[in-house]
Amino acid sequence: MPTRALVTSYAQDLALFPDRWHRLGLVLFSALLLTLPWVADPRWLSVSNLALVAIVGSVALMILTGFAGQISMGHAAFLALGAYTTAVLGEQWALPFWLALPAGGAVAAAVGLAIGPFALRLRGLYLAIVTLGLVFLVNHMLLTFSDLTHGVSGIAVPMVTWFGAEASATDFRSATQWGGLRVVGDQKLYFLFLALATGAVWVGKNVQRSNTGRAMMAVRDQDLAASVLGVDPARTKVTAFGLSSFLAGIAGGMFALQQQYITIEPPFDLNMSIEYIAMIVLGGMGTVFGAVAGAVALVALSPLAEIVGRQLPLIERLSSAQQSTVLFSALVLAVLVFEPMGLLGLWLRIKRYFAAWPFRY
Amino acid sequence: MSGLLQLLVSGLALGAIYALVALGFVVIYRASQVFNFAQGEFVAFGALMMVSLHAEGLPWLAAVALSCVLTGLLGALVERVLLRPLVGRPVFVTIILTIFVGALLRAGMTIAWGHELRGMPTPWDTMAEVQVLDAQLLVNSLGAMATGALVLGLYFVLIRRTRMGVAMRATASDQEVALALGIPVGRVFGATWFLAGALAALAGIFLGMYPRNVDIHLGFVALRAFPAVIVGGLDSAMGTVIAGILLGVLELLCQGYINPHLGEFGKNFHAVFPYFVMILFLMVRPYGLFGSREVERV
Repeated sequence: MPTRALVTSYAQDLALFPDRWHRLGLVLFSALLLTLPWVADPRWLSVSNLALVAIVGSVALMILTGFAGQISMGHAAFLALGAYTTAVLGEQWALPFWLALPAGGAVAAAVGLAIGPFALRLRGLYLAIVTLGLVFLVNHMLLTFSDLTHGVSGIAVPMVTWFGAEASATDFRSATQWGGLRVVGDQKLYFLFLALATGAVWVGKNVQRSNTGRAMMAVRDQDLAASVLGVDPARTKVTAFGLSSFLAGIAGGMFALQQQYITIEPPFDLNMSIEYIAMIVLGGMGTVFGAVAGAVALVALSPLAEIVGRQLPLIERLSSAQQSTVLFSALVLAVLVFEPMGLLGLWLRIKRYFAAWPFRY
Repeated sequence: MSGLLQLLVSGLALGAIYALVALGFVVIYRASQVFNFAQGEFVAFGALMMVSLHAEGLPWLAAVALSCVLTGLLGALVERVLLRPLVGRPVFVTIILTIFVGALLRAGMTIAWGHELRGMPTPWDTMAEVQVLDAQLLVNSLGAMATGALVLGLYFVLIRRTRMGVAMRATASDQEVALALGIPVGRVFGATWFLAGALAALAGIFLGMYPRNVDIHLGFVALRAFPAVIVGGLDSAMGTVIAGILLGVLELLCQGYINPHLGEFGKNFHAVFPYFVMILFLMVRPYGLFGSREVERV
């Protein structure tokens, strides 16, 4: 693989796919993604669906924490709001999913914008703990408004009306004909999620290379200098909160669709917030690549953990959820201590090795 | 009236426990600017260790002392092995590290102790009560209050009057200068983690007593001690102690007097009440009661 061509213009510098190699990679990668649902067995298909949900969620957190530097432990609260709004709108008012999903995002964004002003006065750890408090407060609200949310018993997501094929369909797994192609159950979700995840990655990438993102990074690195240079820190932080919580709400809605039946705790507890933080750290802070890689790696890890966990002594005594927690905790600790850049650092090293080949450097 | 007194005493007991846990956070934070999210796991570890040691036949006081020491050593070990290599890295990294250390510790405790509930041994009758005026007070609550007061007193003597205390304060005020003046900053870090672990174990022992039980989830109390740390001010030991006791009392008063008036919404409202107070409080004073105000220009 040749090294990157000499950049001679700003347009070239900003291009998402600057040369023919990137374009070739894009074509091959999309071909792979589009054939996946027909090749993978159902188990791995649902894993890939979860991975796509996690990608949207981790891009959201990356915008807030990775770009704008605002530590948030309240990500699960935004996902919970998105998931419950989507589910309640579908169940109580029978809205179509393409309306319910953005509505989930909008509700989460409204709360995010309300929390944003806190970030103007609080920094670092204080903000982390306040957003942690948000998880408890939101979950308490959801539990007590049981007329809408059915409290602890959970709520069913009307998958049949949304993704059932014909009137006769008994469950949403029945096949639909899409111009000669036969699409079943999770495959429908896969294509919907693929589109949404691509959208989220595109949004993340565009934020990163536009002046909104540059303002966020300036505030993250040195807010005083940013302010002197004419960046409004208040506006930037609130924008980051709004954008991040909107995407998190969408991710929550997607999660509800994937699960088909959701309860409040678990899954929308502190562990979920921690998992998302783990994703962006594992992937590599401050990049969209890191968010995507971290999300895929962590989601793929849990089925792998089940396979590996059974073989290990002592670990086998834990439940499968705990097994995967143990393995990814150990992994994250190793990454933090040995490879601060995360998967991105590994990828850069591999790339550099081949770029310099046959020399070492 | 008797209801109020009963609530006040159990609130003060809970507050003393919050104060012990919160003090553990502050001790570490002041020395090394690390916020230890694994503190809750230390609480659970100390309590479980206590139950096991007492079951082995150790006298009560010896078991308390030994479990404090063992939990302290666990804390020092975590610091030496995992956090020392990260000195100088962003705050965010160390926070995440301690979160995952906590997850690993919890898994380790599940392997070692399993899920069942255990009763915490006490030197007095487990459910003993004393009659004060016309209220029934649990001896356990009174014990927690007394121990809390004693330990907090000892802590302030340690920090003001001993060599190690002075070294800790010097490290808190400026690491590099402390290092240049010959203070063994590494050993101070170790000592602060040991102290935090021992405080956590003590909190765990009193938290696990009747009417509560000991299991691996005991550590979730640390999540409820966060508001105390924040309201008190992250780097003020006195502030967190006061805030811890206040929030403990407020939580129980809320359970007794506010919950019933909120209808459906009031169910378990006292559990989130400290967070509620914290958020309102931070709107007014962003650095807590006694936290040092940082100079801000933007």
